[in-house]
Amino acid sequence: MRNTFYFIKESIRIFRNNKLSNIFSFLGTALILFLLALVIAVWSISSRLTVMLREEAEISAYFDRDAGNTEELLNLIGQIDGVREVRLVDKEEARSRMEKILGEESGILDLFDENPFEAYFEVKIHLDRMDSVFTQISALKGINYVRENREALEQIEGISKALEVLGYLVIAAVSITTLVIISHMIRQGIYQNHEQIRTLMLLGAPDGFINFPYILLGFMLTFGGGVAATILINTLIHQGYGMLGSTIPFIPLPPKSQLMYGLSIFLLSVSAALGILGSLFGVSTSKKRN
Amino acid sequence: MIQAKNVSLTYADGTVALRDVSLNIRPGEFVYIVGPSGSGKTSLLKLLMGIEFPSAGSLYVMDQPIVKREAGRIRKLRRSIGPVFQEFRLIQGRTALENVLMGMRFLNIPNRQMVNSAKEALTKVGLGHKASVMVEKLSFGEAQRVAIARAVARKPALILADEPTGNLDYDNAINIMDLLYTLKDKNTTVLVTTHATHLIGNYHDTSLIHVEQGKISVEHRGEQK
Ligand SMILES: Nc1ncnc2c1ncn2[C@@H]1O[C@H](COP(=O)(O)OP(=O)(O)OP(=O)(O)O)[C@@H](O)[C@H]1O
Ligand SMILES: [Mg+2]
Repeated sequence: MRNTFYFIKESIRIFRNNKLSNIFSFLGTALILFLLALVIAVWSISSRLTVMLREEAEISAYFDRDAGNTEELLNLIGQIDGVREVRLVDKEEARSRMEKILGEESGILDLFDENPFEAYFEVKIHLDRMDSVFTQISALKGINYVRENREALEQIEGISKALEVLGYLVIAAVSITTLVIISHMIRQGIYQNHEQIRTLMLLGAPDGFINFPYILLGFMLTFGGGVAATILINTLIHQGYGMLGSTIPFIPLPPKSQLMYGLSIFLLSVSAALGILGSLFGVSTSKKRN
Repeated sequence: MIQAKNVSLTYADGTVALRDVSLNIRPGEFVYIVGPSGSGKTSLLKLLMGIEFPSAGSLYVMDQPIVKREAGRIRKLRRSIGPVFQEFRLIQGRTALENVLMGMRFLNIPNRQMVNSAKEALTKVGLGHKASVMVEKLSFGEAQRVAIARAVARKPALILADEPTGNLDYDNAINIMDLLYTLKDKNTTVLVTTHATHLIGNYHDTSLIHVEQGKISVEHRGEQK
């Protein structure tokens, strides 16, 4: 492009004219975008958790101890609409599952002379069919008692929803703040250079030529902030995964590289877009005489 | 090139700077504008650049009407004009060469040609050796010559020079007038306001506009010398 060097030099000059404010708006943008990335990271982890937990929606159906027709019941349950999978968990498996959950405390089970657990049907279902499946299984002959885990699932889902709403709010807040900061810096730069701009107008320079260095500066400040935020969040994720992985291993984290890649793309494109929008806004709201 | 019909200019504060001005300037004409301080010379040039607008009458520059709502077209028109402002209007913090270049960067001139043309113009005004000096370090007369180089280097169809020799010694003043006068050969129209009436006689085939309290009278001076 023609005048590339000129435009870059002009941008640097405008930056230098107001160095401190420009540096602070760069740092501010970087930190704001970093906070945004943080919220998005937590949100994406929790929504992934929700998706996985949805698949864990299940009903435990206990049956008459002396009912000999478990095979038949198994078939009947399997045919119910909304059931994904059904299998019989026998007494031994029920006990060994509890041992796993209790971990070191499992010695407590040795206090029982006899295995205190009962066999049951483990029915994996689609969460949104929970109600109908639940009533249909309850109505089956030979089924004593039915239990579901919906409440826990819905709580976690609620948290994830709340995080999503929070995410949108933070995106809105970050966008507005960044736009205000950048457009203000641009207006300030234009105001400080109004004599030069006036001369260029008198020489017939088109608005695009006059404004470009300011737009370039606004873009560089915001995009630079985006790059800094990307480096910060990637470092944090890199370190955080190591720590989380060893302390709470059962949280199903999304693959590290996928999260880092997604967040980087997101931050870079959001900061680029905000930079251009903010500068254009600043330029278009500056007062100029022809 | 320029057609004015009964043009008046009244400033916002009520000052009447020009009254009932009618003019017809052909391409390639060399025009002096003379008159006492405050008579309206700068005001006339401001009208021609679309900085001010006629309060009455009609004004066309290069077939472009000078009216306020045509701001975009007037900006475009200015690209064909080489202005030398009475207060120079150089851009501070840049070298002399960069100032000349800044008048050309948006004109679609190939880069090398642009730089050559700028250097050539600086040499012509006698400032070839000061090309890389920051303009705030130049003397008044030198700064004025940079402003002239900026106007000339872009090779405009119309030059509007407001007292371009105001800060120059006799030799430099003659040099600048010679430079402007040679543009006549390239069919460039030149309007120069000046108090240096003693220089006017040196050039033939020129026009003279007398401005007195906002009123003008035009005099053509053919082959003389
Ligand atoms: N922006 C303005 N607002 C109000 N009055 C103005 C303005 N500019 C100029 N004038 C007045 O208009 C009149 C003509 O001014 P102008 O600058 O055209 O004079 P000039 O012939 O160029 O004088 P000089 O030779 O001193 O440069 C003067 O009385 C001046 O005070
Ligand atoms: Mg004047």
